[in-house]
Amino acid sequence: MGAKLRYAMVCSSNQNRSMEAHALLKRHGFDVSSYGTGAHVKLPGPSLREPNVYDFGTPYKFMHDELRRKDPDLYKRNGILPMLKRNLGVKNAPQRWQDNAADGCFDVVVTFEEKVFNIVIEDLSNRKQVLIRSVLIINLEVKDNHEEAATGGKLALELCQEIESADCWEDAIDDIVAAFERQHKRKLLYTISFY
Amino acid sequence: MEPEDGLPEAEDGFRAPAQVAVPMSAPPESAVGVSRDSLRALELLKDLGSEVSEELLVLMPNLLSALRHQDPFVVKQSIATGTTLFGAVLEEIALQLHGSSKIEHWLEEMWSWMVQFKGAVCGVLMEPGSIGIKVLAVKFIETCILYFSPDEKDGGVLFTEGKGRRFNVSHLIRGNSILNPAMLEIEADRTLDLLLDLLHLANNLRGSLLIAVINSLAGIAKNRPLRYKVILSALLAFDPNFEIQNGGHTSSIRYCLRTAFVGFLRCNHPSFTESREKIIRALRAISPGESIDQVLRQVERMSRTMDRVSHDVRVSKGDPLSIQESVSGDLTRNKTILPPSDVLAEELPAKRIRFDMPFDTAHSTQMAYDLADDNDDDGNGNYSSSISLVGNDLSPAEKMIAMIGALLAEGERGAESLELLISNIHADLMADIVIETMKHLPKNLVVASVRHNNGSSNEETSLPSISSQVLSTTTTDLSAPTSSLPSELATSSVGVNGFSVTPDVSSFSNLSSESKRDPRRDPRRLDPRRSVAFGNSHSASLNLENSHDMQPMPSQLSSKPVAISEAIKIEHSSSLGSKLDVEPSDEPVGQMIEKLQTTETLEVQDNVMIMDQSLDVHTPPNLEISPVESIEEPLAASTPSDVTANEGVVHNLSECDEFSSPDVKSLTPEDNSHDLITHPPLVELMDEQKSELHRLAVTRIVEDYKHLQVTGYGQACLPLLARLVAQTGADGDVVKFLQQHIILGYHHHKGHELAMHVLYHLHAIMISELDDCSSLAASSYEKFLLGVVRTLLDSLPATDKSFSKLLSEAPFLPDSSLKLLEDLCHSNGYEHNLGENREGDRVTQGLVAVWSLILGRPPYRQTCLDIVLKCALHSQEEVRAKAIRLVANKLYPLNFASDIIEQFAVRMLLSVVDQQSSEADTSLVYSNEQQTEMASQDAFVGGSQILEPAASESDADKDNQASVLKVPTISLSEAQRQTSLFFALCSKKPSLLQLVFDIYGRAPKAVKQSVHQHIPNLVKNLNSSYCELLHLISDPPEGSKGLVVLVLETLTEESTPSSDLIVVVKHLYETKLKDAAILIPMLSSFSKDEVMPIFPRLVDLPLEKFQAALARILQGSAHTGPALTPAEVLIAIHDIDPLKDGVALKKITDACTACFEQRIVFTQHVLAKSLSHLVEQVPLPLLFMRTVIQAIDAFPSLVDFVMGILSKLVTKQIWKMPKLWVGFLKCASQTQPHSFHVLLQLPPPYLENALSRHSNLRIPLASYANQSSMRTSLPRQTLKLLGLLDEEQQTPKSSGPTTLQTSDTGSSIHGAALT
Repeated sequence: MGAKLRYAMVCSSNQNRSMEAHALLKRHGFDVSSYGTGAHVKLPGPSLREPNVYDFGTPYKFMHDELRRKDPDLYKRNGILPMLKRNLGVKNAPQRWQDNAADGCFDVVVTFEEKVFNIVIEDLSNRKQVLIRSVLIINLEVKDNHEEAATGGKLALELCQEIESADCWEDAIDDIVAAFERQHKRKLLYTISFY
Repeated sequence: MEPEDGLPEAEDGFRAPAQVAVPMSAPPESAVGVSRDSLRALELLKDLGSEVSEELLVLMPNLLSALRHQDPFVVKQSIATGTTLFGAVLEEIALQLHGSSKIEHWLEEMWSWMVQFKGAVCGVLMEPGSIGIKVLAVKFIETCILYFSPDEKDGGVLFTEGKGRRFNVSHLIRGNSILNPAMLEIEADRTLDLLLDLLHLANNLRGSLLIAVINSLAGIAKNRPLRYKVILSALLAFDPNFEIQNGGHTSSIRYCLRTAFVGFLRCNHPSFTESREKIIRALRAISPGESIDQVLRQVERMSRTMDRVSHDVRVSKGDPLSIQESVSGDLTRNKTILPPSDVLAEELPAKRIRFDMPFDTAHSTQMAYDLADDNDDDGNGNYSSSISLVGNDLSPAEKMIAMIGALLAEGERGAESLELLISNIHADLMADIVIETMKHLPKNLVVASVRHNNGSSNEETSLPSISSQVLSTTTTDLSAPTSSLPSELATSSVGVNGFSVTPDVSSFSNLSSESKRDPRRDPRRLDPRRSVAFGNSHSASLNLENSHDMQPMPSQLSSKPVAISEAIKIEHSSSLGSKLDVEPSDEPVGQMIEKLQTTETLEVQDNVMIMDQSLDVHTPPNLEISPVESIEEPLAASTPSDVTANEGVVHNLSECDEFSSPDVKSLTPEDNSHDLITHPPLVELMDEQKSELHRLAVTRIVEDYKHLQVTGYGQACLPLLARLVAQTGADGDVVKFLQQHIILGYHHHKGHELAMHVLYHLHAIMISELDDCSSLAASSYEKFLLGVVRTLLDSLPATDKSFSKLLSEAPFLPDSSLKLLEDLCHSNGYEHNLGENREGDRVTQGLVAVWSLILGRPPYRQTCLDIVLKCALHSQEEVRAKAIRLVANKLYPLNFASDIIEQFAVRMLLSVVDQQSSEADTSLVYSNEQQTEMASQDAFVGGSQILEPAASESDADKDNQASVLKVPTISLSEAQRQTSLFFALCSKKPSLLQLVFDIYGRAPKAVKQSVHQHIPNLVKNLNSSYCELLHLISDPPEGSKGLVVLVLETLTEESTPSSDLIVVVKHLYETKLKDAAILIPMLSSFSKDEVMPIFPRLVDLPLEKFQAALARILQGSAHTGPALTPAEVLIAIHDIDPLKDGVALKKITDACTACFEQRIVFTQHVLAKSLSHLVEQVPLPLLFMRTVIQAIDAFPSLVDFVMGILSKLVTKQIWKMPKLWVGFLKCASQTQPHSFHVLLQLPPPYLENALSRHSNLRIPLASYANQSSMRTSLPRQTLKLLGLLDEEQQTPKSSGPTTLQTSDTGSSIHGAALT
């Protein structure tokens, strides 16, 4: 079918997993956006107890420069700087899912964590559903580290390609999900909500 | 398509009045046609929009037929548009009905179209077809049902004109023919049945459709509680584990159900709460895993909070939208700030909102508060139902407790959730919880551990066990009341506020919890007037909150809110007490007390128990003091230490308890009733029991604490542990266990903080001047500190900074700890558990600790300085060097320390120099092993001292000799030991060098050696203070010549001496020190003219020094080149006149020899040059021939040159210079046969003389002269002398004499010899 679907990649901080997938899908020509559902954007700091916390909307560039100023070695080593660099090539700043309802309808929302999945469902059901447009929300559990994010990004791409190629995802989604789970040994969850 | 074609006919009143179908897409066309058609249809549908007007009527058939379009997009759009239109039409109808009770005809017609559309959509749902469309159809049906069912939430507010789904069937005016609410409801039921039927057909449905159906049902149930029961039973009946025939995704469907159930749980509508149990059971069945269970729990509570708040606010403000937005909006992110206490009452509404508000899954702490807030409809049995009625009026702590109780009631299943919950609770809240919980504690504790049966424990077996479990999990975090202590004390006693009391104390707790919090933390408490005001504000706020009076009657005590006010009152007991002091109360004291009795017993009796058990170590057993006194007691205490205050409370409460115990049974608030049935008597515990209790408590806390570490919320248990240690007296296994715990996680588990808490707590008791407590605490303190310190040293590597940190942050350092520190620095007694290679590190560790103490703890400065100074005299060089580095580099620059250090260093230097006085002093600082060494040396000291006066007055050389005798008095190492510090200081303060010069003369040899070792480095590093050194050199004290030389040597070692220095040294040489040795270092910079005058003096120096001087002279400076060439040196040496210059000939010859030894410098060429120069001198230098002979010895190849010299000497009539003549002949003899022709040049008499002296020459010489070439050139006399002429002359003259002559020849030799 002709119409291209709109995709949203959602994780907690809109930094790692969602951005990895965002970058990858964008490269493959998808109409894709990405969001985070957390209260803040949290990046690892010098220790577990001292994360770097930013508000959503803080440009990736700003974070990148600030962290590079703070401790270039550390943040280079733990991959934060490269990640931010990648991100700022994709879009300007992390966006919060809940605050960006104005971005319009998505056809497919891929979340990377069950918590995020729930928040997205909750948020959608709290919106006034007047457009009567269905939206598919799929959760693909991905650990929040660089390696897993890279893998998760590829999986998300594959998943989205499958969905994209279907005539009608509502018809095909059960098969797609089942096939995907079989192939990648990964558990998926999906649900359907409305705009 | 025609509607009749299979659409289930809309029935009854919903029959469409007209069915005008405008076929839009009757037969299938070509693809292009379809798509063009689709586009047209889509545009048309989009135009339909939500504006309801008469014109739309024409398009309705199109809408309907679009449902049958081939292009699913068109169908979807059709449904979407239809849904919107549906609402709009309903709204318009309602509006018209509201306005005129009549509906215009076109609208009626429109409505019939809508009914028809609805029927068509339902048909779509039932027919095989695209799921995508069916999903939308489900959504449409959901929307319809919502329209048709009255919205209870929409509390009677009339809709206005506007967009969106604002139609509410309950607004419809009853009795109109078209839209009868009752009819609509029936229709809603019917439509719902359709969805439910779909659910039953699950096996035949695709997973995605099933999910959509479930979601829709859930949405309907949540929004229309009336339909909840039906939907719930359908969902519950739905088997999530069915075999999916169509390959639906089971786990997603299951999760969808889960989400639905969780959503139900979040609703607080009565009908939802009733079914909680069922839902929870169903949830368990769906997701049996514990983890899912707890996540579910969290999500559930947190969202429900939001719902309720929005509901609450909506009710109160009547503006649901704005609030709903604010819920998810900014309010949640507001970090609340501690409000001024005085405005608590005014703050209340805002605070409540904040407290209830947070819905923010990413923020764990907030989540915890949400959880805390949400116990009301927990649905876990009898607890929840009772609490829920008053849930909003509960303090967070109480809610929390109730919830914990509920979780515990679930047993194993709830355990994990509980753990998660507790780990998320903020320390302050946790403290409140513990305080609350402690009220339930004693009986259980007694029952459990003391086996005291109070008769009531059997009545409510489940609840006590619950609360004891609560205790076990929550006591860990009992922080709030005690955590303020360390900081308070720190500010009052030490002035260091090193401990964090958890910030934003009241940000998340509402008023009652605020008041419940330990009043001691509250600054208001210190001011009685303010505390009264506080009390008043409380009563006001209480009225606001739950309309209960400050003075509840016993009969009122059966409801929960009263319990709250009681709790408040209890906390006020102390402030009420203060109120009694200050102003006459409204009531007589007795009444007040009575009131306290009646209102407080609830908590009191329990508090007494636990407090007594844990505190009675310090509690004076006298419980007979009057209540008022006991209240005053803590307030009167100058330092409001935690323990005293608490004890006061305990006394107070316990007495109240005693007084009121008969009444207690009648006071039975609902959830505390089990505790109040009988009043547990006061139990005096045996000592063993106490310690056992302590042990249990500490172990339990520590163990639980370990789990909490992970989450970083472990702070709270620190103060509790501190108090437990204070009570056990730092003895025994408990404390050892605790210490071990501290060490184990010194960094990660915040052992340091724990240790500090304990120490500060003990110290607080110490300085609180309560006689009985403070002495005990003092000893506890010391033991604990030492214990921790030792364990730290034993278990952590030396590089660890914890040791130093502990000492420098401990509130007080007893002598024993300083002693331990000293031992550490002296590496006494810490070898056994360390590798030898690491011992040095221990010393460093000790020194670092000392250093930080000196810097940071002025009271211990002197002691620590003493330690480190002693260490700087340590017999082990490694230890000493470390200490010296510390002293010289770090401590000496400190103003307060420099004088002390300097004096000490000088004293030590002098003591080792002036042996007589030093014995006593130095022995003080000797470590034990050294004492014996010294003793053995003492024997020698006596003997050597006799020699000393003479020695010290002698010049350098003699002094050296003398000090050889003194070697036994003091060893070099000993001298090093005592002087190193001083030299280290010298490098920081060059003026101290004066002293070195001063003492040098009289210092024993070992000290001199030590000086010699240190000075070079010292001088080299004195660049900046060169002038001072120059000054010293220009006027050296008596006996310091050796030192001056050393200094000069060092100064000139690597660089050419400065002109200043040369001037100074020259001056010194000319005036005070007429020793050429001091000039040696300068020589390289001297010119020839400067060297020549002093050259004899240089030669006169001991040979080594001359050699050094020679080297300098020949080396020269980079600028001028050498002062003398080697040849010139040789000539200069020969020019020295032993008599005139006063240089012994031996010295000169030695000097020559020294030159010849340097064959690289004094080469053949140099020698030839100087010899040819010397040979021209008149008179010839005395040592000339000696030098020639040495030259020919050294360089045999010089022989021809030497023959030239000898020839010259012959011409100079060498025989006339007797001393040289001998040398000449010796040389000639040594150089034969080369010297023969020189010898033959000698006049015959001298030749004869020569031959007579070296008779061995005669025969070779004769044979040489006998050669035909030679004979002719030789004078007859010579020939004759050689006996060559004899034969020839005899032949012409007579043979007789010839024979005679020959015989004479032999005799003539003798004759010649004789002549």
